[in-house]
Amino acid sequence: MERVVEIKKQGLLEKKKKMSWRKIKDQRYLMLLSLPFAVWIVIFKYIPLWGWTMAFQDYTYASVDKPFWSQKWVGIKHFTALFNDNRFYLVLRNTLAMSFLKIAFGFIIPIIFAILLNELRVKKFKKAVQTISYLPHFVSWVIAAGIIIKMLSVDDGLINNILMFFNITKEPIQFMMKPKLFWWIVLASGIWKDTGWDSIIYLAAITGIDQELYEAAKVDGAGRFKQIWHITLPGIRPTVIVLLILTIGGMINIGFEQQFLLGNPAVEKYSEVLDLYALTYGINLGRISYGTAIGIFKSLVSITLLLSANAIAKRFGENQVI
Amino acid sequence: MKRGGQEMSKTKSLLSLVLCLVLCVSVITGCGAGKNKQTSKDDNTKSNVEKKEDDKKGTDIDTSPITLTMFSVDVNPVETGFQSPVAKKITEATGVTIEFEYPVGDVAQKMGIMIASKEYPDMIFAKTQELTQLVQADAIVDLTSLIEQHGPNVENLYGEYLNRLRFSQEDPSIYALGASPVDEETWAPVNGFQLQHAVVKDLGFPKLETLEDYENAIREYMKKYPTIDGQPTIGLSLLADDWRWLISVGNPAGFATGAPDDGNWFINPKTYEAKYRFTREEEKEYYRWLNHMYNEGLIDPDSFVQTWDQYIAKISTGRVLAIADANWEFGSAEDALRADGKAERTYGMYPLQLTKDSKHQDFRDVGYSGGNGICITKDSPNQVRAMQFLDWMCTDEAQILNNWGIEGIHYTVEDGKRVVSDEEYKKRTTDGTNYKKETGIEVYTHPFPRWGRGKLDSTGNPYVVDSVDLIKQRYTEPEKEVLKAYGVEMWKDLYPSRDEIPKSDWGAAFLVNIPAESEIPVILERCDSIMRQSIVQSIIAKPGEFDDVWQKAMDELKSSGVEEMNKDFTNLVNKQIEFWK
Amino acid sequence: MKRSFLEKLFDSILYIIMIFVIAITIYPFINILAISFNESLDSIKGGIYLWPRKFTFENYTEIFKYANIGQALFISISRTVIGTLSGLICSCMIAYTLSRKDYFLRRPIGALLVITMYVSGGMIPEYMLIRQLNLVGKFWVYILPGLVWAFNVIVLRSFMESLPYEIQESAKIDGANDLQIFFKIVMPLCKPAIAVVALFIAVGQWNSWFDTYLYASNKANLTTLQFEMMKILSNLSASQNMAQRAAMAGMVAERNRISPESVRMAITVVATAPIIMIYPFIQKYFVSGMTIGAVKS
Repeated sequence: MERVVEIKKQGLLEKKKKMSWRKIKDQRYLMLLSLPFAVWIVIFKYIPLWGWTMAFQDYTYASVDKPFWSQKWVGIKHFTALFNDNRFYLVLRNTLAMSFLKIAFGFIIPIIFAILLNELRVKKFKKAVQTISYLPHFVSWVIAAGIIIKMLSVDDGLINNILMFFNITKEPIQFMMKPKLFWWIVLASGIWKDTGWDSIIYLAAITGIDQELYEAAKVDGAGRFKQIWHITLPGIRPTVIVLLILTIGGMINIGFEQQFLLGNPAVEKYSEVLDLYALTYGINLGRISYGTAIGIFKSLVSITLLLSANAIAKRFGENQVI
Repeated sequence: MKRGGQEMSKTKSLLSLVLCLVLCVSVITGCGAGKNKQTSKDDNTKSNVEKKEDDKKGTDIDTSPITLTMFSVDVNPVETGFQSPVAKKITEATGVTIEFEYPVGDVAQKMGIMIASKEYPDMIFAKTQELTQLVQADAIVDLTSLIEQHGPNVENLYGEYLNRLRFSQEDPSIYALGASPVDEETWAPVNGFQLQHAVVKDLGFPKLETLEDYENAIREYMKKYPTIDGQPTIGLSLLADDWRWLISVGNPAGFATGAPDDGNWFINPKTYEAKYRFTREEEKEYYRWLNHMYNEGLIDPDSFVQTWDQYIAKISTGRVLAIADANWEFGSAEDALRADGKAERTYGMYPLQLTKDSKHQDFRDVGYSGGNGICITKDSPNQVRAMQFLDWMCTDEAQILNNWGIEGIHYTVEDGKRVVSDEEYKKRTTDGTNYKKETGIEVYTHPFPRWGRGKLDSTGNPYVVDSVDLIKQRYTEPEKEVLKAYGVEMWKDLYPSRDEIPKSDWGAAFLVNIPAESEIPVILERCDSIMRQSIVQSIIAKPGEFDDVWQKAMDELKSSGVEEMNKDFTNLVNKQIEFWK
Repeated sequence: MKRSFLEKLFDSILYIIMIFVIAITIYPFINILAISFNESLDSIKGGIYLWPRKFTFENYTEIFKYANIGQALFISISRTVIGTLSGLICSCMIAYTLSRKDYFLRRPIGALLVITMYVSGGMIPEYMLIRQLNLVGKFWVYILPGLVWAFNVIVLRSFMESLPYEIQESAKIDGANDLQIFFKIVMPLCKPAIAVVALFIAVGQWNSWFDTYLYASNKANLTTLQFEMMKILSNLSASQNMAQRAAMAGMVAERNRISPESVRMAITVVATAPIIMIYPFIQKYFVSGMTIGAVKS
């Protein structure tokens, strides 16, 4: 009985991680390695958050001169305006839809690519493919969108030419003007552009897997596929989960350049995203408070998503981010 | 452990390399900071001493060396550090060197930071929106007293229009010296419907007055020549890339139905009632015509998808028969065509209308519109010097220098007439950009105060190097042929002249001052977005659906507050007209 | 090692897939190269795919003529090298402490860090902070604010966590302190992760121009290569606008020899070439297997 209590006590003590001076002395090097940066983070990332107060004021260019305390406080007026705007829901839908598609289909492709790449035997070819595959990442969306639009055009566009050559269609199809197709075009072009670059992390993760495991598996008679399934995949699982959680957290932050450049008035109902909305109706019209309110909204959504994804991961016994 | 040793020495050498680099960087950036001559601080003391002396009226200007900083919303690509011969002359006369700063990309963000951090240059060239923000932030000076004391030439240049530079009734300060040229003649149309010379020639120079004539010409030619140079012929190509939709898709609706270029407004010249232009019945009919054209296959199917680059590329191949654009939007394509020897594939400009009842108002007289201009910031220690500089830029000496160059080098005076030699003129026109960069000519015209084309000075010579004759000289052969066939000497002759069109009492509507707290910009943005989408929908819809699509758009506009906006804007217009009387 | 028929089939299909991947990913780059070496006025007409129609260096000379290239290059390289090294060390340090499950500040600091990925005070407060810290117009504004990216730290931490803890434990028993364990044992084992993070930071530093724009746009001695490129692009677009305005005024017909599109291509090449050249040196760290076992001894 006593033993049990003692063990329990020990467990509790460890769980609590009591802040004894002993502990601090023990971990002083860890603190040295981390506290300066914690301070740095607070300075550079948390101090500017005072800007969030602008969302609760009527901050205009006229307010710049006035000191902080004499600003006009309007509570949640800007948030109410935001939630009353029909357009807001539209752009939110677009943003989340495209993100969701990217996670559902686009997340897994770099992983597969990395694994396939790893299976290439000829080192030179492997390196060449890897290097070339990330090149589109460095091409700006301005150029990339031009290429894609041309490729999908009805006027001697590559895709239409192929379709008509194989008699799949008689008339060229105006892909970029079909609203329902837009999200898929964004997905596909995003995959094309970023797969090579995104796969680098997974390649690094694969490299970190102990080669001995492979040796042992081979000795046990496991073929390539078995090796991939039992060693490679579990080996990169922590990395995958962590990245998945982070990606889910970032769902609402997809930027707008790609959608803006690929879009056109015919598909605008599907192409306008939250970041573009914030730019157009926020700072471009001098409405700083409104823009800030949108920013806060995005942050809150992101953190919620992050914590939820994290909690789910924890529940399934996976790696967590926090 | 050997491996460890090697690693350590590797790390050591890496560290020392980095340290060296850090040292170098600090030295160089440190040196640079010191080298940064002419900071406003140094001149601060100088100008403070002089301020007392030139507080008297008149044109005795201080010519001691000073550097003034200026942020310009419009990038000036031919400005090269104030080192050109013309710039040097300016410095000689005023002592001033200007250090320009431009936005890279988005202006709104740069303005936001400038205002929030309160770090202002001496002068700012701003457009209406930024000007409103600067006034809101109380950052710029009322120039009225500075003009009275140090700006006699400014007064002379703007004359009766000085009044129009005032901000508003509630705040009659003059905040900015208008950048639009004063008393400018227009000798060439800017907006119209374009049709290739080859088309009109081939069809025997048909009558071109209405859009129906246009349509027939396009249709006939397309039937005759389904391909050009091996590629399919395209009838009318439009452009909807980003803001350009307004120019190619939006504006023509107004131009074809007798409306002038007032941005997205239509103001009744008699009642001064303003409304959002797309609510006009006439413009609806224009889009019905486009819908008809689209369904007949006479419109480029890629019109609403293509980027501007692709649009230009298409035009430069010579297979686009017609465009409905402003001449500056496709200028580079015409350059390419001419360079390729395909001058007959360039375009003539026709003031076509939907019906015979209206007139093309491209040559409307807007009087003078303030709106955009150069302002002086409150925090600047060099306000007087800045005004003296701007004042000098208004003198004849400056105007001639900026337009013509230096006498004896870039032009000569023969029998009292200013003449640019043919050789020099050729340099000016064939590689304009480099010429400007090297000489400094026409670099400091925009956005500084200036006289417009056609204005003559006291010696009877024009301020600006351009004339009707020079324009005619530049016409290509096919152009001359077409003009002759239509019985006119210049393109502008096809258009209703300035006198035939009601004058605008409000300037240009898109330069009307909108107060900062107004909801108008927001509602306008929303309306533009609705119309942008709806117009495209209506054009590509089946003919029977057109009315429904359009009605839906009108309903959406109503629910977005368009009527409120119309009322508000009408008030503003009326205020401006009153204010300017 | 006998390869079954299935495996051979797999290999062939793999090669076909990879060749397809190469084709679609290298095409834009070849296209960009081709246009960049093509005469600008000719490029306007479009239709250039794999090689230039009218070869010229003019787009490149245009860039080099106007940019403050020497200084820009120096600064870009400096900030990339210094930024990468400093960022790397700092990220590794904090990542290590977060990888130690026994560290009592692990969760708070971790949370603090991750949240930063999704919150921002906005451009204006950030600008004011930089100004108050006296970093405006100084070289260190390129290094200090961007020192630690949460994402990189998480990547490194993941990697470190996957290392068998026994290695660290046995070192502890041998008397090593945390610092020594960090530098001598953990870091060398994280080569792939370090290489990847170094790559990310380096590319980020090399490509960034917005901070130059905000904080050092009027300091010629602090300009970066990307910023100079951006200015050129902006100049050329304005040049077109000017031509437009001039044409609008019926004035002298501007002959703009160089168009933004061609220069944009040349800029892409100039900006990306260094990265592509350096890349193989980093690549080797994460494109081949590694043995941890050997270090166990």
